[in-house]
Amino acid sequence: MFPVLSQTTSLTRAAVASVAVAALLSTAACSSSAPASEPINSSRNEELSIAVQAQPASLDPAQLAEGQQSYIWASIFDTLLMVDKDNKIRANAAESWKYSDDLRTLTLKLRGDLKFSSGDAVTSKDVAATLERTRTTPGQQQPKLAKVSSISAPDASTVVIQLSAPEPSLLNYLAQATGVIGDADTLASDTTKLRPTGSGPYVLSDKTVDGTEYVMERRDDYWNASAYPFKTVKVKVIQDRTAQYNALQAGEVKAALIQAPQRKQAEGAGFTVKEVQATAALVLVLADRKGELVPALANVKVREAINMAFDRAQVVKALLNGLGKPTVQVFDPNSGAYDTGLEDAYSFDPAQARKLLAEAGYADGFSMTMPSTVISQSFEPVITQALADIGVKVTWEPVPPQNTASSIASKKYPAVLWFYGLNSAGRQVGDMYAPEAFLNPFKWQDPEFDKLLQSIATEPDDTARDALYKKVNEYTVKQALNAPIAYVGTLWATAPDIDFLPTGVVLPTVRDFGLSGK
Amino acid sequence: MISYALRRLGAGIVLALLVTLITFFLLSGSLESVARERLGSAATPESLKALMTQLGFDRPAIVQYLDWLGSVLTGDFGTSLFTSQPVAPAVAARLGVTLSLVITALVITVLVSVALGVWAATRGGLADKVSQGLSLVGYVVPGLLIAIVLVAVFAVNLKLLPATGFTPFAQNPGKWAASITIPVIVLVIGGVASMAAQIRGTMIGELRKDYVRTLRTRGVPTRSIVLRHALRNAASPALTVLSLEFIQMLGGALIIENVFALPGFGAYAFNASLQGDIPIIMGITLFSVMLVVTVNLITDVVNGWLNPKARIY
Repeated sequence: MFPVLSQTTSLTRAAVASVAVAALLSTAACSSSAPASEPINSSRNEELSIAVQAQPASLDPAQLAEGQQSYIWASIFDTLLMVDKDNKIRANAAESWKYSDDLRTLTLKLRGDLKFSSGDAVTSKDVAATLERTRTTPGQQQPKLAKVSSISAPDASTVVIQLSAPEPSLLNYLAQATGVIGDADTLASDTTKLRPTGSGPYVLSDKTVDGTEYVMERRDDYWNASAYPFKTVKVKVIQDRTAQYNALQAGEVKAALIQAPQRKQAEGAGFTVKEVQATAALVLVLADRKGELVPALANVKVREAINMAFDRAQVVKALLNGLGKPTVQVFDPNSGAYDTGLEDAYSFDPAQARKLLAEAGYADGFSMTMPSTVISQSFEPVITQALADIGVKVTWEPVPPQNTASSIASKKYPAVLWFYGLNSAGRQVGDMYAPEAFLNPFKWQDPEFDKLLQSIATEPDDTARDALYKKVNEYTVKQALNAPIAYVGTLWATAPDIDFLPTGVVLPTVRDFGLSGK
Repeated sequence: MISYALRRLGAGIVLALLVTLITFFLLSGSLESVARERLGSAATPESLKALMTQLGFDRPAIVQYLDWLGSVLTGDFGTSLFTSQPVAPAVAARLGVTLSLVITALVITVLVSVALGVWAATRGGLADKVSQGLSLVGYVVPGLLIAIVLVAVFAVNLKLLPATGFTPFAQNPGKWAASITIPVIVLVIGGVASMAAQIRGTMIGELRKDYVRTLRTRGVPTRSIVLRHALRNAASPALTVLSLEFIQMLGGALIIENVFALPGFGAYAFNASLQGDIPIIMGITLFSVMLVVTVNLITDVVNGWLNPKARIY
């Protein structure tokens, strides 16, 4: 996809990895239907080997990170809930859940047949201890439990989560890293970072070489083992994308992400190539909407003009090798927030853009400085030229790779080019537009927008909430809060006997892979 | 000799202290970025502050450095901020991969370079032209290109050798040899290009000296003159080139390790630098300095043994 991606830091990887699903907050008592399982075939001793670009940051439940690392931690740990292929929240380790009417108390009922890899039973005490530790330990999952005021375990199979305010994305979080179940007795142990006591379908084998290859063996005493056709799963850390492709061709791995130019060759060599058209969004984040550094950006006409400066189709064709889709939106096309009708909001029209700038009082244009990061470098000439064509002069200031995230938080730059890994609508709002959002460093707020967000938080009905997210999306597009450029896709190449199953953005887990024709 | 080695070692320790101190102070400007990287995009000012305190980043840089140094003196090199791995075993394991690659490449480089250089110097004519031609090709063709071609042919198409990965020697010597064959060939091509030319040049110089003529007149066999006398005298400058080649190969290993997905020192250092993984960077810096000091010391000692006039101890 992008050569630069092999040289990114973890947060930057997070920006380009597609790691989430559309959250659908279910408020009714849910049936205890078991999670969907793939039909099981007779040969259940197959091996799956996947290439990933980075080793896991840590296997400590309080320190889990998203992205391709979840192939490992989601195999080792069970999650309370799961998200199915249709982006629906489903039962998993918790067989049912129920929200109170005020959406401030979530009660989860655990299955009765949960076991750790040590053989001990998983109880609500373990769930509560894991959540409590995650809530109180600085880490990537901690902010997701910010609205949790207490967690209790009234009996061995019940967990009660009290919230200080409704959290629309909580169920989604509990289906991902925040919802893993660790062993209360060993959570704080040093061994947990690399060799945790697992609750999931796989256990790390002695053949694992940290940072190089993670070998996981299926636990046949896992309650849902029949949903996992692969007896052994190997996750090989191969940072370089070309090396990943070489490993795939040489039969050393059976599944890997490939780059667009390799597609034809991979298909010709007998690999199955599956495209997921939108896993991330390439966005010019117009962070300084209050105009603190660049007053022009406070004017909606200026932001609209910037949105008209880009020939998005050309960017997809030339810079993304056709692997993606032009867009003016940032929400997952498969989520309820997406609105096809909004795609015509800003066509490529430099003349109209210059006119809008003139109307806003910037006939002679204006200047702004942007951080030159590992993400932006390959796009900088195009961005510079497109904005220059409407009268906006961009100066790029080099930023060391480890300061990529800080460049946004520093409030030194009015705009930043960023890859945002698509997520549930609730999480995207929290990451991009909420007052404390990472991609809202200047803490832009608007009464009308705040009211919308408030109504989402207290809306118990899924369909109605989707309609509200659609309104949020419309607001962000009409107000040109950012200048989205394109959805960025990914290509999975798999050996003939392996299928890559997802069609959209999902949490990367071994469940993404099945046996071909079985 | 022993006191010289100890003096050099002392100088090496001072150098390591200076280099690690400078490295630490250069890194200390990015502490907040590192903490933010750990917390991800949803970091709040509160969680950032809490983590900075937890990691000790809120203390003065000199205090942090002395703390690190104190731990190192007790054998504790710290733990990676991003992978939870203890630094010493992680760096040592990766250094082992790189050294097995580089040392194998160096041994082969020496054998091939000596053979090629001596052959060119003693035979002249076509042999000399061939030797110089091969050196030139080694110089001109980028190692990366050779690596890509070799992988495509021997790993992807013929499946004779692995395209990626590393097998430790202790685990399976045969698989170890297979896993480093292509990377070693790439390193050897570059190494031979410079060393063979060096040996050829010094050997030609040595063979023209008076003592060689004297030996010939005394009826000493050519083979003995070349291998026992001229080559020994020519070895000293070649050894210096070899030590430089070793250090250069350590750097070159970064590219090779990435291309072949070898879990080596270079790729590890590169990743740690990108992330700002301070304990790993510090560990790598310390190991690197001591490695270079050791190689230079060995070079001087061997040079002294080969050439008594060159002894500086």
